[in-house]
Amino acid sequence: MSDEPTRDSDDPTPVAGEYVLGVLGAAERRAFEARMARDPQLRAEVEYWERRLGVLASEVKPIDPPPRVWANIEAAIAPGAGRGGLWQNLSFWRWATVGAAAVAAACLVALVYSARAPVPNLPLIAKLQASGGQASFVATVDRRGAGLTIVPAAAPAVSERALELWLIAPGEKPQSLGLIEAGRPVHITVPARLIQSIAPQATLAVSLEPPGGSPTGQPTGPVIASGKLTNL
Amino acid sequence: MWAMNGPAGSTASIEQDAARKQLVAALARIAGGDKSALRLLYRDTSAKLFAVCLRILHDEGEVEDVLQDVYITVWRRAGTFDPTRASPITWLVAIARNRSIDRLRSGAAARSRSLDEAAEVSDDAPSALAQIESTDEHRRLVDCLNELEPRHAAAVRSAFFGGIAYEELARRMNMPLGTVKSWIRRSLLRLRECLER
Repeated sequence: MSDEPTRDSDDPTPVAGEYVLGVLGAAERRAFEARMARDPQLRAEVEYWERRLGVLASEVKPIDPPPRVWANIEAAIAPGAGRGGLWQNLSFWRWATVGAAAVAAACLVALVYSARAPVPNLPLIAKLQASGGQASFVATVDRRGAGLTIVPAAAPAVSERALELWLIAPGEKPQSLGLIEAGRPVHITVPARLIQSIAPQATLAVSLEPPGGSPTGQPTGPVIASGKLTNL
Repeated sequence: MWAMNGPAGSTASIEQDAARKQLVAALARIAGGDKSALRLLYRDTSAKLFAVCLRILHDEGEVEDVLQDVYITVWRRAGTFDPTRASPITWLVAIARNRSIDRLRSGAAARSRSLDEAAEVSDDAPSALAQIESTDEHRRLVDCLNELEPRHAAAVRSAFFGGIAYEELARRMNMPLGTVKSWIRRSLLRLRECLER
């Protein structure tokens, strides 16, 4: 990248200042960071320029970021979602995956048996996943009975916050199906007015809400898992 | 240390000092795992960081990603913040700028930028608003920038605000690469001299 390979080896100021200013290319930045990791003097030079040049940021007029940015941060640091908690514990994942598969299989068996009577519609299933792709909940719906069972697969532990389940029919606003739990399966009787919205392509989503659930009737906290209903 | 050397007694410097102490306290609580402190820090600093990153990346979606990344990093690394070596806001600005610059260098954002930004380079003079909330440290730096040749000072400002690499900076200023490099390096040496006086 640079056409001047030898530079300023005696005086650390220019290259530390160049790094902080942001004029170095990607490869030069990595090379400089590697040097800095071994050289406390260089680190101090960088801190010097960060202090001195950083004050220029006071000239930039603040712009509020959209609220979803904080919601995503909050979800990422939720207990169990970071800092080596349960969320990052491998043996927990192995256990949870096996456990979830077993529970889901049991649900299916139960559903298939309960659906033996003449059923116009097949049961529905949804795997609710975090944006990272891991299944957090498995939901099964017996459409005839309008009963929904949601089983935590590897749901994050959330203290202080309630988990609320939402039904989102295509093009519609979310409708609350009530509160669920991260630690055990919950059976929900779907309100009559929502039964016809429970159909393939509708989405189920779980959001973090204040204790007692969303005060507004719409999700107010971050969505931690979601998935579409599909025919079994 | 460096943040405390303003003229004692001026309202602005008392307020700035109080704001700084509040952020230092928030960072200490964040290091102890206090989420409400992160929320306070976010409330007080996110609009500034969002704007700083937007100047570099010019894409709100990218900046949202960077901002999330920055505060999650702060959540995990608040314990490494040393109030005797950095001020909270310049520490946060440094993290946010580094993330933005790396993202800009990684390609996608740089390639998608339109040509009309090529004329943007002289748009970095301090605004009247900036002067109002100017700190003693900021005034000091601006005084030193004003001692540079105007084109050199403009190159330093453009590099800082845009996170622009030498090659791009040279293209925008319509100057040879070597010339721009020597402007920046000489400017850094002279700034340091001036700041140490």
